[in-house]
Amino acid sequence: MDNSICQGYEDEIQSLEEEIKLLAEKYEDRQQESTFYSDEEILMSIKSFQRESQGGSKGCDSPSDLKAQLESLETDLSFLMKFTGIQFTSHSKKTLEKTRNRAVQKHRLSGNCHSLSFQLEFRLLEMQNKENVSAVVTDLSIIMESGESSDVSKFVSR
Amino acid sequence: GRALAVPTDRGGLTSAFPLAGGSPGKMEEGKACSPDGVLAHLEMLEARAHEAAVKQEEVEQQEQKLARLKARVQELRVQRDELQAKVDLQEKGQLGKEGVVSNPVQPSARDVLEWKIKSIKATLQIFYLTGISGKLTKRGVCFCISTAYEGTYLDSYYLELLTKPEVRIHRHSVPIFIPLEQMAKNYLQTDIRSFLSVLSDHLNAYVGRRYQADQLQEHFSEQIEGTLQRNSLCNLLVFNYNVSKKSKSFPFNVRLLYGDLCCSLPTEVIVSCTPGSPTSLAETAAAHSDLFRRVALHKAFLSFSSAEEN
Repeated sequence: MDNSICQGYEDEIQSLEEEIKLLAEKYEDRQQESTFYSDEEILMSIKSFQRESQGGSKGCDSPSDLKAQLESLETDLSFLMKFTGIQFTSHSKKTLEKTRNRAVQKHRLSGNCHSLSFQLEFRLLEMQNKENVSAVVTDLSIIMESGESSDVSKFVSR
Repeated sequence: GRALAVPTDRGGLTSAFPLAGGSPGKMEEGKACSPDGVLAHLEMLEARAHEAAVKQEEVEQQEQKLARLKARVQELRVQRDELQAKVDLQEKGQLGKEGVVSNPVQPSARDVLEWKIKSIKATLQIFYLTGISGKLTKRGVCFCISTAYEGTYLDSYYLELLTKPEVRIHRHSVPIFIPLEQMAKNYLQTDIRSFLSVLSDHLNAYVGRRYQADQLQEHFSEQIEGTLQRNSLCNLLVFNYNVSKKSKSFPFNVRLLYGDLCCSLPTEVIVSCTPGSPTSLAETAAAHSDLFRRVALHKAFLSFSSAEEN
């Protein structure tokens, strides 16, 4: 009898821990997706962050770690944009659904691809099964300023 | 030797030591008086006391465990409720309801930087979806070619390139049946973009052919007779199949050759009937042969089944 009560508590603990994890992620995602800081604000933050932590670092990442991480990511991104010719000028995403095994996000992108400017919107569905994560893109819509070139319009509609 | 003197009542049996649990003595009068009897009795009492102590400890441990679990559940419920309230408040703020401030706390410099880092990582993820992404390394670049077939992302392949003294491949996860060496010879030194583009075409086509064959085996296994033979590059498929699920007497044999390695449709299709098939089936075989040249394998099979149902 006692064992089944114990099991009941243990099951509830597990489901609560999962619920808490999903809620925390939901909060973080929404916080991230609804905020926007301009490049000036970023620069100011880098400067003030270095000044703040002059007297000792608090927390996990020291200011030099964060700054280094930021720089490395920005270098990778600018390399890719230069290499592929695809420059993203804006990117926003919204998490529509997130459960233990499934997440759906709506992405909105705009940018230039070799001087052709475009806007994209699509849904990304990611599902976790036993071995790996699968990804499917649906509801893709492309807007391109392709007045002159009919070839491009044909490509877009394909 | 001498018997141990044990006081006894004149009329009855008593033990020198009170029994645990207070049960009346079960001893024989004779044994109570002998040293062996007393020792055995002592041992029995000790054993009983020990058992009782162990049981008591078990019960206490169980109770403590239950109490711990119960406390943990309460703790987590409170935590969950607090988080839920936080998320609800956030939702109200974002919907712009009056009087609710969405972000009352002034973000710290650290918060801003962490936001930017997450934001860049998200954009890098998008590059993954475009098919070519990568990361600079100390000695060169590590490219990741992602493949997809009609919106479903399939395998990713990695290629680590060194750039000095000349561009060369350091490590990769490209399967051996893809002619990587040839492509590298043709393009790597002169035009890395073309090299990656050609490699990406090969990989995407291979993955697309493999996907079609897998889909066929997964969804149309009842129509396939015997095994579906394929090579590792998935550019040669040979199998027998029944035109309909109902009639299994005259299966077709099909040989699909994908001559263009950058293409996921076959260049050569031969559909043959089993000897002795009715002549009407020859027309069907020709129609199928044409269909396989134009339409993905699993979709072709889907169209036979739906045509049949109509």
